[in-house]
Amino acid sequence: MLEAFLFVGLPYAAVIICVAGSIYRFKTDPYSYSALSSQFLESKKLRWGSVPWHLGIGVVFIGHLGAFLLPGPWRAVLTQPHFLYAVEMAGLASALFCALGLLILIIRRLTTANLQPVTTLMDLVVLFLLFVQVILGIMTAVNYRWGAQWATQTTTPYLWSLLLFRPDPSFIAGMPLLVKAHLAGAWLIVLAVPFSRLVHMFSLPLEYLFRPPQKVVWNAPPTHGALKQTADKEMTRRLFLKGAIGLIGGGVLLGVGVLEELYLFFRGPRLSKEEEGHLLDVTQKKLKKNADEKALELERLRDESIFVAKLSDLSPTKGKYFIDYQMKPALAFLGADGLPQLLSAKCTHLGCTVGSEVNAQGRLLCPCHVSFFDIRNGVPDAGSPAKDPLPKIGWILVNDRGETVLGRGPNGELQGTPRDHPKETLSVHIAKKYEGWTA
Amino acid sequence: MKTNNDFVEKVRTAIDERLPLEKMNLGALMTHKDVPQHRMSWAYYLGGFTLFFFIVQVITGLMLLFYYKPTTSEAHASVEYITHQVTAGALIRNMHTWASSLMIFFVMIHLLTTFAMKAFEKPRELTWVTGVALLLITFTFGFTGYLLPWNQIAVNATKIGLQTIEQIGAYLPGDMALWPKYLREIIQGESSVGQSTLSRFYAIHVVILPMMIMGLVGVHLLTVQLQGMSKGVDGEVKKNEKFFPFFVLKDFSAWGIAFLALFLFALCLPFESFFPYPLFEPYDALGSTPEGIKPEWYFFFAYYPLEMLPFWVVLLGGNLAMVVLLFTPWIFKGTSRKTLGFIAALGAIYLFVMTVFGERIYHLVKGVAG
Repeated sequence: MLEAFLFVGLPYAAVIICVAGSIYRFKTDPYSYSALSSQFLESKKLRWGSVPWHLGIGVVFIGHLGAFLLPGPWRAVLTQPHFLYAVEMAGLASALFCALGLLILIIRRLTTANLQPVTTLMDLVVLFLLFVQVILGIMTAVNYRWGAQWATQTTTPYLWSLLLFRPDPSFIAGMPLLVKAHLAGAWLIVLAVPFSRLVHMFSLPLEYLFRPPQKVVWNAPPTHGALKQTADKEMTRRLFLKGAIGLIGGGVLLGVGVLEELYLFFRGPRLSKEEEGHLLDVTQKKLKKNADEKALELERLRDESIFVAKLSDLSPTKGKYFIDYQMKPALAFLGADGLPQLLSAKCTHLGCTVGSEVNAQGRLLCPCHVSFFDIRNGVPDAGSPAKDPLPKIGWILVNDRGETVLGRGPNGELQGTPRDHPKETLSVHIAKKYEGWTA
Repeated sequence: MKTNNDFVEKVRTAIDERLPLEKMNLGALMTHKDVPQHRMSWAYYLGGFTLFFFIVQVITGLMLLFYYKPTTSEAHASVEYITHQVTAGALIRNMHTWASSLMIFFVMIHLLTTFAMKAFEKPRELTWVTGVALLLITFTFGFTGYLLPWNQIAVNATKIGLQTIEQIGAYLPGDMALWPKYLREIIQGESSVGQSTLSRFYAIHVVILPMMIMGLVGVHLLTVQLQGMSKGVDGEVKKNEKFFPFFVLKDFSAWGIAFLALFLFALCLPFESFFPYPLFEPYDALGSTPEGIKPEWYFFFAYYPLEMLPFWVVLLGGNLAMVVLLFTPWIFKGTSRKTLGFIAALGAIYLFVMTVFGERIYHLVKGVAG
């Protein structure tokens, strides 16, 4: 019974009284159609109360209106979680803004001596109603999150049912008490409109936002210069206020949007087993590679000779990379005489690593600045940026019993006699005794 | 004795004129400052943009520091981890790369416009000289930061860059010929670019340079605020604008737009999308060098001349340009802004052509030569 009154009877009564009363008041007493400014009497608190209140309620109103007028599109865009977050946070922030403004306005009404004679009972009622309504709204937003989303399925169809004269309170029958109180409060406020200063909203005083500032001039006018100065001051203050509101508003929105991401950034990712495994795999491989490099370094520090490749594995057209005694990359080929040909692969121009493919002209390419080197002697082509030849590296051939059967220093002389050894049993090594030669 | 006192007095007035510390109060620094309004007024925002992108660099850099590991075995993996696993990591890293480029871009135009507007005129010499130092630091930031991801292009480009130092040796007499080599080894920390180099570049990039730049930026901004904006045009300035709140608000709005642009770029366009992928594989010390190694675009103006001209020409030209830059307030003391503007325009054209068409010119020259 009570619910039927609150959500069907009261709304119709409130709207009818609101419309009829407002029209009646406009016809009979048009000059009362205003917010009855009391700025003359007190302006400081008014600024910090009225501005946040109106800004906040404007945003909140647009949000409510959107959900009411365009529930379909509204719901569709809200399926984007980020947009939903933004809307919820903007709404909540604006509501807090409203509450703060109202609180200041209430304190002002109650404590400023100048205002007492002009304060009517209705002013206090309206302030109280609005404050309660805002608090209820904030509590709803906090306790039943994503109202922007669920309202389109509950309160919006309820309001439409009223509008289309098919009142159906069952849409909101199951709603929490808080929401019902917020709805009932709304109707009470609508009811209060024609009897209070709230009528001023029908005059849609939007140009207040954009008109140039006005300065009240008392009977004894100050000089022109002083007037201009105050006007300038007002202008500055207004610009600053606008800028500050923009920056704070933008900052809050940005902060809200970024906050979660930031939190997640610093919390660090929580990986699935699979991702973790992959990551460990990559790290392990890299660490192994590093360990291998260290092993190579140690080997070069200690060993008299180091294995490069089996002689049978060398090719005249595709070099095999190995690391020389200076820990620099080098290439091993099979020379025309059937013996190994070892060249440093560190480009003599700027130190890039030379490619291992031999082209049709018997040249190696350094890709960095396009130097070509002759594979037979390491000499660069005339036009190449590199001027010095790739150093040759000495080698020894070791048989399967570990004996050195043949060697060639970097200056080209053979040590030992080339005898017929089965090619498969021989392997190519670089030797420490030739190390100094390759520098 | 008397001459001595005169000298002391002279130094005193010189310092006083250049650092009017009696203006160290909020009134003089903020409210009483005017910004001239004329056709070059937009240039007053360029330093602010640079500062803004520097602030972005500090913040995003600190965030990357939470995850980055400066070792040769883990650097690349940690960068990949930031890009693929950390929430918004790709965005932060992208912002860091984009903002680095934008910061350098604005530093360059800031240099050209302040030159054209004769903002180095007495008593603003200190502002100019600190500005040149900041320019060098900013480039060093770029050079050291490039190596940190430890991928193919980074390490190989760094190798080439450092090798260039050694080339100077050929032009020095006697034992001095070895000095550039020693210098390079000090920077590198070992015989080839490796872990020591990474550690050093890391230390330089995240500790040494930031400390230097903070101090210098402090001096730079302080002198700007103490001296006020330079008038920027020949003749009288007809209109002024209050620095606070008008200019400041506009500046902040411009920063807001810059941030939005940066955010969108960073969100949609990975900086690496301009290069072929193999360049971003982890650096392989034993494999061959991939094709397409080159420095960041902001080094093109020096890199392509290095590739095309004899080394000594570039060396001489570069050193000359540095000396001229450093001593600009004294060299161009009597030059009119019109002439300065012409020189700045020439500089701008050179930078533009070398940066945008450098690679094509290089291939053209190379093609003809080979």
